[in-house]
Amino acid sequence: MAASFASRCSRVGRSLMDGLRNNFPNLPSTSRETICGSFLYQQQRTFIQMRTVLKVVDNSGAKKVMCIQPLKGKKGARLGDTIIASVKEAMPNGKVKKGKVVYGVVVRAAMQRGRCDGSEVKFDDNAVVLVDKQGQPIGTRVFGPVPHELRQKKHVKILTLAEHIA
Amino acid sequence: MQSFIGGSIRLGQRQGFPRWNRAQFKSSAKAYLPSQSSSNAVQGTNNSIKSPNNHLLQFLGTTFVSQANGVCSVPVLSPLAAMMSSSSSIYMTTAAFPNMHSSEPFPDVPTRIKFKRLDKTAKHIMQIVDKEAVEEVKRQRDVPEIKPGYIVQLKVEVPENKRRLSTIKGIVIARRNAGLNTTFRIRRMVAGVGVESLFPLYSPNIKEIKVLDKKKVRRAKLYYLRNKMNALR
Repeated sequence: MAASFASRCSRVGRSLMDGLRNNFPNLPSTSRETICGSFLYQQQRTFIQMRTVLKVVDNSGAKKVMCIQPLKGKKGARLGDTIIASVKEAMPNGKVKKGKVVYGVVVRAAMQRGRCDGSEVKFDDNAVVLVDKQGQPIGTRVFGPVPHELRQKKHVKILTLAEHIA
Repeated sequence: MQSFIGGSIRLGQRQGFPRWNRAQFKSSAKAYLPSQSSSNAVQGTNNSIKSPNNHLLQFLGTTFVSQANGVCSVPVLSPLAAMMSSSSSIYMTTAAFPNMHSSEPFPDVPTRIKFKRLDKTAKHIMQIVDKEAVEEVKRQRDVPEIKPGYIVQLKVEVPENKRRLSTIKGIVIARRNAGLNTTFRIRRMVAGVGVESLFPLYSPNIKEIKVLDKKKVRRAKLYYLRNKMNALR
């Protein structure tokens, strides 16, 4: 939570976050355009794209992964999507090691996701659960809340492991 | 209107030229009155020059008399110019109608019909429809008043194949009024992670709303709470 405070404390808007996050010149600005003129506007959260660092919330051994490719999505991954990620930080003895390329399912995203009844949900951080190519989670426990959207994306196993469904 | 006046001055000035393209006045084409020989400006050429001039005047909504002496078009211009200069009083009435136009009424400029702006009318109608829909929902369900700073407990039925009624308890941090689509945001701590949800107030999925507590706040949108570590609630 502390890390997310530091990233969110500045109300300078998206431009600061974009500069930190996206260093690829050929990618157009993939963040949603708002009338982000003055620093008083809220921070506009956007997709999970290349070089987004996410938290890992299962017990597979990794701590932080960096997204290297969102599967399915030109602009980026959203809540419930799968990504390809590279492990940046891992626990010393775990199933995955640092530098490994893994698949992950986004279970918490700071960008709001609309539901079919008109409601929206957004979390305070970006979190991912590592899965294998078939979609089965590598770890055996999932921490924190997970959204209902996983049911629709057929990630039922993650839902059963979750401690709270938001 | 000013630009049109300028344009029509230019057009009027060009009346001395024999080929004057009358196609520029599209709408006045239908109001084009054939030059009636009953005019006192008998001479044919002047008459043909005069009648487009009269269209000009008709089109501007005047009942200005063109002193139909068939001399030349220049003196007719000066009243035209005089009319142009007094842009505020475009509608001038004169004593006598020109008798060449008395037989037929001005078809495209009758006595100044006002019509309402249709988009304003539409907005008004939409407002009424919206209010009616809100009344309808309020009659069926009891929706309490929700302002930012209230601690609220909701019973929501989630459509994603969930059996029943999640209870959601949190603080209202924002409320956006938009008629039937009035939404409010709730912030809560779920298992150590902050979650914000946005709900339409009159959604049929919200089965029950209960206000637990009211906190004193001094603003309408409490987004500063995102940076503050809230106690577990």
